Amino acid sequence: MPYSFPLGPYHPALEEPFKVKVQCRGEVIDSATVEVGFSFRGIELLAQKRNWVEVITLIERVCGICSNTHAMTFCMAAETIAGIEIPKRATHIRTIIAELERLHSHLLWAGVGAEDIGFHSLFMEVFTLRELVMDTLEAISGNRVNYGMNCIGGVLRDIPDPKRYLPALDTLSKGLAEIVIPTFTENPTALARTRGVGQLTQQQAVEWAVVGPVARASGLDIDVRKDQPYLSYADLGFESVVRPEGDVLARVVVRALEMVESIRLIREALLSLPVGPLRATEGLPEIPIGEATIRTEAPRGEAFYYVASEGGATPARVKIRTPSFVNIPAIEAMVVGQPLADLSIIQASVDPCISCTDR
Amino acid sequence: MAMLKTILGNLLRPPRTRGPADMPDVPPVYRGALAHDAARCTACGTCAFVCAPKAITFTQDPGVSVSWHFFIGQCSFCGLCAQNCPTQAIGLQADAPGATNSAAGDGLRLESVVRLQPCTRCGAAHVPLPDAVMEALWGVGEAERGYCPECRRRAASEKLRAAFVPVQEAHHDR
Ligand code: SF4
Ligand code: SF4
Repeated sequence: MPYSFPLGPYHPALEEPFKVKVQCRGEVIDSATVEVGFSFRGIELLAQKRNWVEVITLIERVCGICSNTHAMTFCMAAETIAGIEIPKRATHIRTIIAELERLHSHLLWAGVGAEDIGFHSLFMEVFTLRELVMDTLEAISGNRVNYGMNCIGGVLRDIPDPKRYLPALDTLSKGLAEIVIPTFTENPTALARTRGVGQLTQQQAVEWAVVGPVARASGLDIDVRKDQPYLSYADLGFESVVRPEGDVLARVVVRALEMVESIRLIREALLSLPVGPLRATEGLPEIPIGEATIRTEAPRGEAFYYVASEGGATPARVKIRTPSFVNIPAIEAMVVGQPLADLSIIQASVDPCISCTDR
Repeated sequence: MAMLKTILGNLLRPPRTRGPADMPDVPPVYRGALAHDAARCTACGTCAFVCAPKAITFTQDPGVSVSWHFFIGQCSFCGLCAQNCPTQAIGLQADAPGATNSAAGDGLRLESVVRLQPCTRCGAAHVPLPDAVMEALWGVGEAERGYCPECRRRAASEKLRAAFVPVQEAHHDR
């Protein structure tokens, strides 16, 4: 007897609202419909009512986890319009913060994923490691979230003593290599809940236009850091991680190996931090008439910004397309034929960020 | 076996949860409680301009004072006010910031009254410049220290003219 079952609008893992309505036949899911928009905040409209300095603070709140990515991408768009080239030291610092943020985002996800499959001790281990990343971010920026590092023309805060952060990176690599990665890829409990679950074939990945780790776990080698290098990625060299399987396990592995690559990038950027100024401009920014589109690789995939200026005190238009916005609908394709009990880990496996979806 | 080892190891270790007395060191760049120094403030409004959530506002008592207001319930601790204040009147310090205690808008509010002074030349009420700025611009003990911005501008151009006029006269003589 088929029945329909509404899950949400409260997410079973995080206190963020989106709704999945599933049609089930017994234990097995026939189809699902995803609904978002429960916490829409109208940031794009608000951005047209704030001046160029205030907008950065506002845009930083598009997402609580990848706050830096959004503020940074917006600043990059404004810099493109104004033709500002930011100093080398600033690009390195932006890269370091962006990669630290990726670590923190992926670790948060790994913890939530572990919690979703009922693996509490792994959740504790992962969150202990994440705390190291948060401490590093706090030591550099003064805050654990919403770092306030970016301004149009560069960065606001320096990293005066880059070598100080290397021991934390060592502990982190060790923790990842000895605990997190082996547990997710070898522990029978974790494997039983992730291998072959929530398949998204390469063909489907293209059809649903997924981005980021979800696309890379389905065999699509797309990553803005490699395809269109920005900041210091071209200087530091970058290897993307791709898996062909397309199941939850592949998404776990892609994120885990990406963290290893992020640690390498951060270490190299810290060791090769060029000397020089932090900002290319002084005082409050003035943005001439123009428009720009910028893509960056947020922890969850490609973030896309379109910014238009009419030369006034505020931007004329800020269009934001966030990675979760395109990844979340793909849950509909992943859950077909899966047991209802796996719904929670499948939807968690795309790392849905409702905050940025409902920007 | 491994589990036993973990349990034994954890028995000897202190708890990972920290108590209030065992606070970690806050980094020097930490953005905590906001403090405002009325003596340095020129009421220029830069802080209110860069404050996205509008936590900083101004009110006026015409001719008497300008008040700088801050409401913590709207502050996002971005630190832009401190970074952009030309006279460093605002600082975000290492202490934990106060909290708002209800949705009704109660919570820490700061108010600094910047007293207007009459201009010693024309009598117009104006916000005096902080001492350090005055000293850098006009030196110690100059009459211009008590002037309003309009009279200071006038005094500056008079000084400039005085510096140029003899040259012009010499030019005319020839
Ligand atoms: S606190 Fe600073 S920025 Fe704000 S009005 Fe006073 S002088 Fe200007
Ligand atoms: S810290 Fe930011 S939000 Fe708070 S008063 Fe200053 S500018 Fe406004």
